[in-house]
Amino acid sequence: MLKPRLSPWFTRGYATRIAEKPPARFSDPLLNDPNVVVKTLKDENLTFIHRPPPTAPSPYSTTLAPASPLLKSPTTPNKHAPMPPLLRPSAYNAAPSRMSDKDIEQLRKLRLSNPEKYSRAKLARLFKCTPNFVSKVAALPRPQRKEFGRKMEAEHETVREQWGEKKATFVAIKQKRREFW
Amino acid sequence: MGHVSKRLYSSASKLAVSTSQLKQFPPKEAILTPDSGKPNFFDPELWATLQPPPTSALTAFAHRIGLANVLSSADVVRRACTHKSFLNLHAKYYPASPTPPTNANLATLGNSLMGLFASEHLHAAYPHLPTRVLKAAVSAHVGPLTCASVAQEMGAAPLLRWHRQPTTPMSPALLHSDALASIPRAITALVYQEISIQSARKFVQSFFLSRQVDLRSMIRFRDPKRALIETVEKFGRERPKSRLLKETGRYSNSPVFVVGIFSGQDKLGEGFGSSLKMAEYRAAEDSLHRLYLTRTPNHLLQVPSSTFPSKQCSIYKTGSEAPYTPGALGEAEILYASSGRSNIVAPKRPTLEEIEAKRESLDV
Repeated sequence: MLKPRLSPWFTRGYATRIAEKPPARFSDPLLNDPNVVVKTLKDENLTFIHRPPPTAPSPYSTTLAPASPLLKSPTTPNKHAPMPPLLRPSAYNAAPSRMSDKDIEQLRKLRLSNPEKYSRAKLARLFKCTPNFVSKVAALPRPQRKEFGRKMEAEHETVREQWGEKKATFVAIKQKRREFW
Repeated sequence: MGHVSKRLYSSASKLAVSTSQLKQFPPKEAILTPDSGKPNFFDPELWATLQPPPTSALTAFAHRIGLANVLSSADVVRRACTHKSFLNLHAKYYPASPTPPTNANLATLGNSLMGLFASEHLHAAYPHLPTRVLKAAVSAHVGPLTCASVAQEMGAAPLLRWHRQPTTPMSPALLHSDALASIPRAITALVYQEISIQSARKFVQSFFLSRQVDLRSMIRFRDPKRALIETVEKFGRERPKSRLLKETGRYSNSPVFVVGIFSGQDKLGEGFGSSLKMAEYRAAEDSLHRLYLTRTPNHLLQVPSSTFPSKQCSIYKTGSEAPYTPGALGEAEILYASSGRSNIVAPKRPTLEEIEAKRESLDV
């Protein structure tokens, strides 16, 4: 450690201040909350401080104060209000435009003529819609649907038989966990 | 003391047989006479079940539930506590004695009354509850298991006289809970008959409708997201969209996601889960729970049966005692995954040819 030398070349000419940690100041924990409601009764020298719980609203929903916005009038849309992000990236894609009746007829004709060749995925790519839309609009008759289901189930069963014990256990655990959603 | 006598005394004490009210104890059937060559087939438990409960217990029961003025005599209580299955047993072993009166008619009447009171109360309390859930809620409040529980709590179990019946091709098995359930129903009918329909409603309200029933756990969905989409469309709102509110530990082995479902800028519901799909599922369920479980406050709750007169007279008499304003009807429920039909399958009507064919076969 060098001893401090008071020669003019090694000391500063202006006033210095030894660094000091400022005293810790803590805000009143009772008034910390932004939603706090304080009511003072000067006569009785009383102060009431109401601090509502931070999260989950009351689980009770009454007809006078319903918890569901469906039972209240809709709030006016505010374009500048920040909203949380949508759950999945595909939600940001624009909804497809409404299909013309001619296209729907065409889709239905193709699907019902040969469901094997004109699968849901293929028709969705052709007509620029989703496979679920194809199912809804061009639903196959029930016996045919059941037949397809049975065939698919048989294929899945052959794959499932090839699984080892571990894989079967993990899949069973996942299915059980699904029941508890 | 032989083992039969020991069993007799222990059964008598367990099954609340009042020996002071019997002409002779031990009963004649129980005494084994070594002189006669006839074998003794005496069953102490069976004998104990055939004896009526003591008058003191019946009176105490009537006072305990606060209906001493309705259940005025021990005979009335005995009737309310005797199930119709007891008649066969009684006739088999005491054919000479008169048949004891049973609670069959009273239980049927009481069951209908309880169904009425529970349905109107729950419909007024939860105006947006769908029909299936309302039915389940009514069963939870006044169904057979609840009635059996209430009978146990009242202390009617040792007073019940019944006989277990196995399954037959004609009828299902009779269980202890079914026999016990007949007691509160019979008491409801007695209150209705002795006093008025309003008193019967007060009885059902205090014993059954004031019980806490967790409806939230009873409401489950096959596809809550689809149900929510259709419900929101019915209300004429913007299509629901799921948004991620909070998340933590996405790539760890225990992530937590909080997802909210929004219609425009209104949050319909939120849910948490260890995967995005689970959180979204729960959020959809929460949205529908918030709608269905909207409750009318107690000071605004009014039921149609309050318009019946409170004196003992014909219920068809006009002139309501209290002013009645009917509650607002909730939004009609959605039907989904049913091809436009509900699960009710109407019986197929026979065609003319089938009817004629049947008639011909009968004639032949």
